[in-house]
Amino acid sequence: MTDDERCDWCEEVLQPFLDRNLTDAERQEAEEHLQKCKYCRKRYHFEEGLRLLMRLAEPMAPALKKRLSELRLEL
Amino acid sequence: MSETSENEARRLAEDARDRVNFEEEALALADQVYRVARGVSRSKEEAEDLMQETYARAFRSWQSYTPGTNLRAWLLRILTNLNIDRGRRAQRAPDQQPLEEGDYFLYNRIEDVTGETDEERVLERLSQDHVAEALSAVPHDFRDVVVLVDIGDFSYADAAQILDIPIGTVMSRLHRGRRILKKELAEVAVET
Repeated sequence: MTDDERCDWCEEVLQPFLDRNLTDAERQEAEEHLQKCKYCRKRYHFEEGLRLLMRLAEPMAPALKKRLSELRLEL
Repeated sequence: MSETSENEARRLAEDARDRVNFEEEALALADQVYRVARGVSRSKEEAEDLMQETYARAFRSWQSYTPGTNLRAWLLRILTNLNIDRGRRAQRAPDQQPLEEGDYFLYNRIEDVTGETDEERVLERLSQDHVAEALSAVPHDFRDVVVLVDIGDFSYADAAQILDIPIGTVMSRLHRGRRILKKELAEVAVET
């Protein structure tokens, strides 16, 4: 693989990499490339940050939590 | 008290204890369930309604839950079914719309438009509001999968079980859903 091809391959495996769905050999290959390639490394960091941002949704309102407790059946 | 009524009383007491345990476990998961509810709803109000319906149904049908199995997945299955029942599926999935951009597209786009070259700075161009707005523009079938896997942190197999679709469908919708999300994010992030 040329360097460009390796970057293309890394772009293709970005999602399965973050989903932890690569084989050990594929993962190692991606990690080796990321160590050498700043272009791909920046984009992987960005993607990790984006996933974290998605998970940081606003928390549930305390009033809703109380309403949910009130839905419990009477004993 | 006869032996039969004593047994009956014991059984009722055990039932009540199991039910209280179930309710407490379900309530302890509410924050996690809410994140998914918010992700699949257009507004906070809609997410709150969906949560109340989900918990009301869960508390009523607690006996159909098998203790020791994945309670979070069980609750989210109720939530996604209610979401379907409420007719939020009218929007048609743009299956044929071409989306050929690769996974670096969003980064490259923000970098090109803003001139930022540091990835932290590129990421700072995106906010939670951008994510919420972009997610709401993703068609429901795709959004549900993205929300369960990317926000709910479910495996493909769990997402398949919750949504009652094959695992291959989870993977293809996830791939497409993430691409649509990025395309939307690029638009909202670059506009502001």
